[in-house]
Amino acid sequence: MELLNTLWQSTGLANFALGQVIMMSVGCLLLYLAIAKDFEPLLLLPMGFGAILTNIPLAGFTEAGGLLHYIYETGIHTGVFPLIIFMGVGAMTDFGSLIANPKVLLLGAAAQLGIFATLFGAIALNAVPGIEFTLKDASAIAIIGGADGPTAIFLASKLAPELLGAIAVAAYSYMALVPIIQPPIMRALTTEAERKIEMEQLRHVTKVEKIIFPLAVLLATIFFLPAATPLVGMFCLGNLMRESGVVDRLSSTSQNELINITTIFLGLGVGSKLSAEAFLNVETLGILALGAIAFSIGTAGGVLMAKLMNKFSKTPINPLIGAAGVSAVPMAARVANKVGLEANPHNFLLMHAMGPNVAGVLGSAVAAGVLLSLVG
Amino acid sequence: MNQLFTEAGTLLFVGMVFVYAFLGLLIFIINFVLAPLARKFPDPIVQTKVKKYTTKTKLSEGVSPAIVAAITSAVTQYRQQHLNAPTNTKVHIQPNIKARQ
Repeated sequence: MELLNTLWQSTGLANFALGQVIMMSVGCLLLYLAIAKDFEPLLLLPMGFGAILTNIPLAGFTEAGGLLHYIYETGIHTGVFPLIIFMGVGAMTDFGSLIANPKVLLLGAAAQLGIFATLFGAIALNAVPGIEFTLKDASAIAIIGGADGPTAIFLASKLAPELLGAIAVAAYSYMALVPIIQPPIMRALTTEAERKIEMEQLRHVTKVEKIIFPLAVLLATIFFLPAATPLVGMFCLGNLMRESGVVDRLSSTSQNELINITTIFLGLGVGSKLSAEAFLNVETLGILALGAIAFSIGTAGGVLMAKLMNKFSKTPINPLIGAAGVSAVPMAARVANKVGLEANPHNFLLMHAMGPNVAGVLGSAVAAGVLLSLVG
Repeated sequence: MNQLFTEAGTLLFVGMVFVYAFLGLLIFIINFVLAPLARKFPDPIVQTKVKKYTTKTKLSEGVSPAIVAAITSAVTQYRQQHLNAPTNTKVHIQPNIKARQ
């Protein structure tokens, strides 16, 4: 009888806590969103599975000795995984449209308003009982507005590791929701005539420019914002490997195999932070709400800046491309293109929107650097 | 709480100014360093060869539709004169010719 009792005590059924069951369903929800709805599946699938593994009673995945514990400690706590992914993103990025029309960098800067304005929101949420965000927490949450997964995870791991799970879930869910969140804001802030604006053809960008650009960005970061050099440095390394044309093997590895392997572990590692005690609280709801606000303000900031620039610029600028300034490459650029096509079926904004889109990646890395050096 | 708000306000101001300044600096670099470099070191002209090649293929491709059209009309004429095909086939052939022309 005692033996049977011991056997029963070693089953999962006897040891389930309510929180674990809820978190396993959250994991299943993430799997559903990834598989059925195609929401950022590359990350949400391993993340959802990680959430399920984390909440298995008695298995101890996240305790010392457990697989997820080591994945988290080696890759995310140290900030290594997001940086490797950033290198891959750099190797996938073509700065051509940005170099051809450099003033769109201002759109990438304007869209970072979402990040800094959300700081206020996070501090204001302290009025809600059960929520206590320090300035570090608020900064880590606000970076969701940068619409850049690796940057958000990197900053959260440095400033507020206990909120990392919720921040990563919010960042990637909203990035998947860009086609739903952005268009209403874009339409509300622009007139039909503005959406119809056709932009001039971009000039040809030479190979020399493309090679010098990442080096110049790195140099500027070294001089003015060393705190951002981990992110910007890895990004520029990836980009230089791509544009130099002499290390195609390395470039191809970092934008394929390496980024894929790292994504698996990054997803699992983030999933390990989705335990009941860390995730099931009012703060998570607050983070989800703040993330949506950050995205919306960022989009609005970019569109309004583009409207302003269109007033003063010699060449026409379609305000819709401002929305692409929130990074979320290349989804936000595609959204700008789609909304533009609705107003004018002959207006292809995709290449023009890629400029502010990659400027947004640089912008959010710089914003992360500012937050790290001022708050961290 | 009030102090936190002030800090957040300062961060908003300093952060946005810095982001604008940094990306503005990049605009400066692109306009005054990269663009002159691009004029000095233009891409090697390999494209002309490619262009010639494509025009050649286009020419040869441009001839073939005409030949195809000629053959098609000859075949239809031949069929109309010799085969005395039922009306159904005629109806079927006509739009085909139109599409090709």
